[in-house]
Amino acid sequence: MFGGPLGISLAPAIKQNKSLLKLLTPIANAYANAMGHRQMGLRYDDLLVEEREDVQKALGRLTAREGFDRAYRLKMSHQLAVLHRPLPKEQWLTAKDDVRYLAPIVEGVKTEDDERALWDTMEVEVRKS
Amino acid sequence: MLSSSLRASRARAYATVASSSSANVASINHGQPTSSVTVLVKAGSRYETKPGVAHCLKNFAFKDTEKRSALRTIRETELFGGVLSTSLSREYIALTADFLPGNEAYFVDLLASQVTSPRFARHEFQESVAPLVQGESTAAYNDPAVLALDLAHGLAFRNGLGASLFASAGNAVTNEDVKAYASKVFSQDNVAFIGTGVDESLLQKLVGEHFTATGTGAASSPTTKYFGGETRLAPSPESHAHGPQTVFIGFGSSSVSPELAILSSYLDPTTSLKWGQSTSPIANLVVPGTTIKSVYLPYSDGTLAGVIIQAHDAAAVKTAAVGVAKAISDVKAGSLTGDSFNVAVAKARFRLASQMEERASQVTAVGSKLFGGSQGLLESLPSVLEKTDASAFSKAASTALSSKATYVAIGDVGSLPYADELGL
Repeated sequence: MFGGPLGISLAPAIKQNKSLLKLLTPIANAYANAMGHRQMGLRYDDLLVEEREDVQKALGRLTAREGFDRAYRLKMSHQLAVLHRPLPKEQWLTAKDDVRYLAPIVEGVKTEDDERALWDTMEVEVRKS
Repeated sequence: MLSSSLRASRARAYATVASSSSANVASINHGQPTSSVTVLVKAGSRYETKPGVAHCLKNFAFKDTEKRSALRTIRETELFGGVLSTSLSREYIALTADFLPGNEAYFVDLLASQVTSPRFARHEFQESVAPLVQGESTAAYNDPAVLALDLAHGLAFRNGLGASLFASAGNAVTNEDVKAYASKVFSQDNVAFIGTGVDESLLQKLVGEHFTATGTGAASSPTTKYFGGETRLAPSPESHAHGPQTVFIGFGSSSVSPELAILSSYLDPTTSLKWGQSTSPIANLVVPGTTIKSVYLPYSDGTLAGVIIQAHDAAAVKTAAVGVAKAISDVKAGSLTGDSFNVAVAKARFRLASQMEERASQVTAVGSKLFGGSQGLLESLPSVLEKTDASAFSKAASTALSSKATYVAIGDVGSLPYADELGL
């Protein structure tokens, strides 16, 4: 996939620009609500492509509780998909609960992998003194 | 060059300087070809807040810090041609870097960051520390001699010094426990930087630059008291060890005891020559298939000395144990006088002195001095031994040996002797 395990994102660039951020935040929030995962009880990070080594490694680093909750959410959303029926509106995930619980760990794994690649291909120069 | 280094070594064995920076700093410098810096932390198993946490903290060494990642630490050390090592004793955790002279700045920075800003990432604990701890513990518990000594410490001193060096599966240590323990022990008064082959003022300057302590206060542990006792252990069915039958007979004291040093070297059946027999009274018990090892373990406020007897069948162990117990009771009755006493003293002094040649012992000796413990135990003991005379020894020894023995039997508990059968 392009752009590493988390895909391509313009968010860091947009966050730099204050007026652009102000302009786009309502649109982003509306988009997140329109995506539909919150209606199925899922968090955004539950949708992350997990068929990758780095994401698998990150999943292994979740606490037991986080791992259990993730499995529960996925199972529940499968059941809802089978029934073709989202959760009742009062049970939809709120924006507050839609936490990026996995993305920071994935980024950590990526940093590690990048660092290893860097060390594996380093060139040593003799210091001239 | 030789003469200059000789002069240097004569000029001072080492000097201790009260440091301007927050940590204790000392250096032993007589022009060694390689340098080393050790961070000695008073955080051995006797200070631990939860069983096994010291063992976990030791294995957390050289992992991620705020300054550099574990991978970078290793790769950079390789580039400098250095060697990083850790060790855990009942009193200290030592993080050591050995390197070529000239690279002091880098390695002091590296070591200081280990105690100033360790990260204790949860995933590192799960992925590399915990398996390592478990592996080390399993290896130790599958070696009857190591296990016997560990159990003997528990019997002899119960709390504090008696705490096991190894984390066991029964006591689940979490990453949070390690973090809490580290924040307690990595404090200003609890950490010492000791160099060998490093210029002292340079070391002091570098430590001042790189080390900033997070807290003050020294770790404390219960005052050592000798108890003694007996335990018997059949190897667990899941342990893969088919180790030899093992018996440990020992005595301890709650002080630094020169008597036990003399007793231990008197009993030591190691021969001084490749052929021939040692002068030890138990030398004739060393037959093919039976090994007898004398151990002497001094601590800052306690001593454990004894004999480990190992053989493949319990009957051979019993024969040897009876002989050892008899030799001990003879010493208690005052048989160790005259020439054999002088031989034992000379041997004990030599053993301690030659131990002081090792870098690790030097570092520990200087460290215990810096921490304000008994003054350089290993160093002072040879001169104490020199002054001991036979009558004073036999009096002190009979007192020490009148206390309850520490007795451990591991293996075929049905056939191995009990302590009272040996007259202990």
